[in-house]
Amino acid sequence: MLELFRDTYRYRELIWILAVKELKVRYKRSVLGFFWALLHPLLMMVVLTVVFSSILRFGIEKYPVFLVSGLFPWIFFSQSLLYASESIVTNGPLIKKVYVPKLVFPLAAILANLINFLLSLLPMALILLLLGFPFHTTWVFLPIPLLGLVLFAVGCGFIVSTINVFFHDMHHILQILLTAYFYFCPVIYDLSVVEARFHGLFRWNPLLYVLGGFRSAIYYGDPLPAPAVAVALGGGLLMVAVGYALFRRYQDTFPLYV
Amino acid sequence: MTAGSPDSVKIRFENVWQRFHVVRKRARTLHSALVHLSARRLMQFELEALKGVSFAVPAGETLGIIGRNGSGKSTILKIIARIFPPSAGRVEVNGHVSPLIELGAGFHPELTGRENVVLAGVLLGFTRRQMEGKLDAILAFAGMQEFADTPLRQYSTGMLARLGFAVATEIDPDILLVDEVLAVGDEGFQRKCLERMNSFRRQGKTMVFVSHEMGQVRAVCDRVLLLHDGEVLAEGKPDEVIARYHALLREMGPGAPVRK
Repeated sequence: MLELFRDTYRYRELIWILAVKELKVRYKRSVLGFFWALLHPLLMMVVLTVVFSSILRFGIEKYPVFLVSGLFPWIFFSQSLLYASESIVTNGPLIKKVYVPKLVFPLAAILANLINFLLSLLPMALILLLLGFPFHTTWVFLPIPLLGLVLFAVGCGFIVSTINVFFHDMHHILQILLTAYFYFCPVIYDLSVVEARFHGLFRWNPLLYVLGGFRSAIYYGDPLPAPAVAVALGGGLLMVAVGYALFRRYQDTFPLYV
Repeated sequence: MTAGSPDSVKIRFENVWQRFHVVRKRARTLHSALVHLSARRLMQFELEALKGVSFAVPAGETLGIIGRNGSGKSTILKIIARIFPPSAGRVEVNGHVSPLIELGAGFHPELTGRENVVLAGVLLGFTRRQMEGKLDAILAFAGMQEFADTPLRQYSTGMLARLGFAVATEIDPDILLVDEVLAVGDEGFQRKCLERMNSFRRQGKTMVFVSHEMGQVRAVCDRVLLLHDGEVLAEGKPDEVIARYHALLREMGPGAPVRK
């Protein structure tokens, strides 16, 4: 773990450059370019709002705000994992030419998506303004669930990037897993609509607390409940420890397989 | 042994082995993984790329490595560059090693030449600012100023090799690894590269040079290692070892398979 933090710090400039490269490459060939970073979450919000407040009717007040407070963090998490899973393989030509600590690649993929997420706070603020929704003072708590979500993304990112080196189907399987997980996490709905007998099962999901942290800060204006803080930080660190242990064990063999 | 003292050893290999699991037909997908699960042993064999290789390169020496395709030359360079650790044996490398420049040194096809140079430098442990300071010199040596803002995917093979060689030498490494890069440049650029390699020698830098071009090996190397099937077959003065290599080629006959 210490080694992880030391190398992350030592190679911070490289991680930054790789993340910027990732974003540049992602948008370079599209006409709207960087605007996609803002447009993608907005458009997804429009689609889901039409479906769940006009057609299916959850009856949640100011549904767009309820939605984006969970959806934008979710997009950050799922995109982070998808990019991280490919990160070692797509940087294969580089890994085969020069010694680099391999952890910079998944970390850069996640940092790129973190930059995207922070930018998506702009359209989020716009939505709040347009709907006349108040900016609660509890926004100041947001760094805690965000740190938690980053830790979970890093931990899971290490795992999926390692597996993807040896088993390229991981990336595709991950897409399905994330779709399934998306419905398991209360992003588009509130836990109260789930039958009570399933609540026990839902409480095992660590992201319930992390995403819930975003929602209580932005939508409800409540201070963070203690379990949300504990799971976000404690669970996140545990996830990083587990993910990095796996990654570290196999990283030396990456150049032989990519 | 310190890296700085003039008579120190820069690179030392002691009984180094490198084994690769080579898969005749790799199960990269679920379907083929399931199909081949039972036949896994048959599909995979162990290739011994290096079988107990030992040598040392003192500071200031230029070592040539020659041998047929698949004899283990590039594997040695990759181990020196720390790209992967050896399966067994001891490796000691003292000093800052250049990146491996081979065909297509381009690090990222979508980024421009300029962006790639900075990326390459940061990968090698320089800061962005340091690399921005070296940019002009690198582009000038490669003769690529005009293409600095062109994405790398539009470069020709020769242009990539030029940029790769320029980056590797301009960052001023203690140990320069050169793998076949000269084969793709035009004659003018080859001459430029040989000149630069000679100036590296005069500065007392250490080099490892892999080539199939015996004229170039004679021109730059102090000592030559002949590899055959992952073993050191001969070691010594360029002329003697090159003669031994030519004898080996005659013995094997033209078009001999890469490995027995």
